[in-house]
Amino acid sequence: MNILAYIGKRIASSLLVILLITLALFLIFFLLPTNPAQLSCGKPCTPEQLSRVSAFMGTDQPWYIQMGSYIAGIFVGRTFGTGGGAVVCDAPCLGYSFRLNESVSQLIADRFPVTASIAVGAAVLWLIIGVASGVWAALKRDTLVDRTLLGLSVVGVSAPSYLIGLLAVIAFALSIQIFPSGGYVNFSQDPVQWLYHLILPWLVLAILSAAGYTRITRTQMIGELSQDYIRTARSKGVPESVIVFKHALRNAMLPVMTMFGLDLGGLLGGAVLTEKVFSMQGLGALLLDSVSNLDLQVLVGATLFAAVLVIIANLIVDICYSLLDPRVTLGRN
Amino acid sequence: MTNKHVVRAAIAGVCAAVLALSGCGASNNTANGTANGQSTGATGGTLNVLLSSTEMDLDPAKSQGLPITTNGNIFRRLTAWKITQGGETKVVPDLATTTGEPSDDGKTWTYTLKDGIKFDDGTTITSKDIKYGLERSFADSLTGGLSYHKTLLVGAQDYHGPFDGKHLDSIETPDDKTIVFHLNAPFGDWPWVASLAAFTPVPEGKGPASGYGKTPVASGPYKVESNEAGKQAVYVRNKYWDKKTDPVRTAGPDKIVFKMSQDTSVAAQSIMQGTGEGKNSFLSGFVPPAQLAQAQANPAYQKLLATSGDGALEYLAINTKRVTDLKVRQAIEYAVDKKAYQTASGGEIAGNFATTLITPGIAGREKYDLYKADSTGDVDKAKQLLKEAGQTSPNLKLIATSDQAETASSIQTSLKRAGITVDIQTLNDDVFSDAETNNEGDYDLVIGGWQPDFPSPYANISPLFDSSQIGNGNYNLARYSNPEVDALIKKATETIDQSEAGKIWAETDKKIMADAPVVPLIYSKNTFIHGSNVTNFVIGNFPAYPDYNQVTLASAN
Repeated sequence: MNILAYIGKRIASSLLVILLITLALFLIFFLLPTNPAQLSCGKPCTPEQLSRVSAFMGTDQPWYIQMGSYIAGIFVGRTFGTGGGAVVCDAPCLGYSFRLNESVSQLIADRFPVTASIAVGAAVLWLIIGVASGVWAALKRDTLVDRTLLGLSVVGVSAPSYLIGLLAVIAFALSIQIFPSGGYVNFSQDPVQWLYHLILPWLVLAILSAAGYTRITRTQMIGELSQDYIRTARSKGVPESVIVFKHALRNAMLPVMTMFGLDLGGLLGGAVLTEKVFSMQGLGALLLDSVSNLDLQVLVGATLFAAVLVIIANLIVDICYSLLDPRVTLGRN
Repeated sequence: MTNKHVVRAAIAGVCAAVLALSGCGASNNTANGTANGQSTGATGGTLNVLLSSTEMDLDPAKSQGLPITTNGNIFRRLTAWKITQGGETKVVPDLATTTGEPSDDGKTWTYTLKDGIKFDDGTTITSKDIKYGLERSFADSLTGGLSYHKTLLVGAQDYHGPFDGKHLDSIETPDDKTIVFHLNAPFGDWPWVASLAAFTPVPEGKGPASGYGKTPVASGPYKVESNEAGKQAVYVRNKYWDKKTDPVRTAGPDKIVFKMSQDTSVAAQSIMQGTGEGKNSFLSGFVPPAQLAQAQANPAYQKLLATSGDGALEYLAINTKRVTDLKVRQAIEYAVDKKAYQTASGGEIAGNFATTLITPGIAGREKYDLYKADSTGDVDKAKQLLKEAGQTSPNLKLIATSDQAETASSIQTSLKRAGITVDIQTLNDDVFSDAETNNEGDYDLVIGGWQPDFPSPYANISPLFDSSQIGNGNYNLARYSNPEVDALIKKATETIDQSEAGKIWAETDKKIMADAPVVPLIYSKNTFIHGSNVTNFVIGNFPAYPDYNQVTLASAN
């Protein structure tokens, strides 16, 4: 099966997943005994005003009609209300937030660069740190280096990111002021400031997440280095650096790549705590807000977007797999 | 405002800055912190306001904000709030020459606009701009703001905004300087209603049905230079604002920057450390508990704290539809240990003990205590009342959020002393706000908090005790319905002479408490933190929030 057919098949199954996620979100939301129109009713809220608001937002319809209009909106756009006061959400309309007066697509377009900047930078860092220290620990197995790295990784895995973030801000931004305490600067506006504001969140996220990679890389490397083919290579006089990096590491990377794909995909959907502690307004913060404000349309739109990212990340990982390991064939039935 | 949760959301969402008032003679008292008097401060510099909210929707039609917080400095209205440190808040003319001339027994209110009032593009503000701004608030896409005027103006029920070319006939503009309002019924508090955000002038054709809230047209001393969600909104001077026409805004800083999406712990830390922008900043929300403890323990930080006087009423509502026996409700009045509640809320800094429904600082309030007892309660009296009622060990259900865990348990413990068993049902925030305001009312007890939208007994009593406010998302949590009280509320509301109205309100207050639908617990205080270079951090007797219209910098940075 060629790669295009494979991708096509994956996209078809992904659409089904997305539809199921939408269904689940709508069902969960409508099981809650709350009325989203209430928040837009104003104060004091009269029953007449409440029904006016519900009719305008479409929340007076049964859930399946609302879900139908939502899905239809993605393809043909939506219009709320009529006449001069109507609010139009052009296709692809992932929903409209009456709380923020913005289409969900626009909100995602505004927030995604923030989350992507945090996630990609941190991911690259933690992959480098995690894999390097994992290889090092494996090569120095049972020495002081190995024990220290393992010990540190236990701390990294178990430390809460909010606490470490807060401590990092207090130490490096407020006490010794070498980094800003938060905020995000657009790359297009000032690349240097962009980088400067991102270093601290990257480091915090990378150090915490690298821990897991250290452990998995170490275990994999130890496993690979004890394999017969390594012994054969050594006996043939292959240089140790080639053995470690070309043979063992390449094989050890397979499960690491799987984990990386999932982690990066998940992080792109929003690094909630990191965004919060560093005052960066990304997708995570948007999702969190939409939950506490019963903003169903934002909730569904942003979740779908995050789901698509995870699906794409998985797809890329699978393709990378086939490149790393020729034994893996895409789409083998 | 409303219930505590709603208050928090509203504060997060819509804090506004106002600059009111110039020198009131009191000395500047920043050195010892909690009570800053008014001084002139410096002119110039950049003041930072740190917000935890992630966006600032400045559309006046949708605002539930206090007139003295985020939008106070950019929007003028017909009337404004004059706030003095620890003094009574007064309604004063802002764009208009008076706070309103009533006629037709208070059903008609007439205003004349001042000379020299302009928008930030230099055009003169006319009565038609105010009418247009109000009409916008009726559009279906612009609901969500304070809507007192919507129930009062004649014909408003069927009006859907100006975007289809229709106008609301009960607002008349006979000429560019005059605006006349026709109400369904006399309403003595109309001058306060005219200070709310919906009365902000909006130039016709410049306020679309959506998207106006980002950089709206300004009429105050500042205009919005930029407003980027999640980052910051920048207010810069509006050169067309004439200080001579404005009795409340002092416009000290050259620039006010609202920094959004701030983590409150980090923000409070940066203010305490005073590094960088920290010393020129203040936190719009309350100080988080950890940083409050830290600041109270350190004299250098203590002076950065500012605690309000008696603010929102926190009360235990007794569902009168389910706890129908007056004697049982009176027993609860005596059984509650207010001291324990205060301690659970954070000690004395959390608030003073409450006995009345109208909160201190509101004109018309009379102090009284119908259920005299120690602050820890009178258990014997409670037991005796329960015995008389023939219910010596009632079982009651208290609903609470996880944030209320400690205060709810203090109520549980104190009622246990009198033999009343309280089952606490902890609910998720969203479910809780539905449960307390829906039409079923499946609870016996619930702890509420209420800060009125404007300083009048009407805004204090009517939303909590008028029978029209039961269920449907409204806040008569005791589900209290007494035709006599409804009639008194109506009478007081329709009384135009405010000192006369005040007397009726005081009578209403006592009449309600005689039925014991709620136990007043404390008048909660709010504690704020500001940088060492921030001055004129004035908090009046109402509301329990700083007056952004006056906050300025001690020296220009």
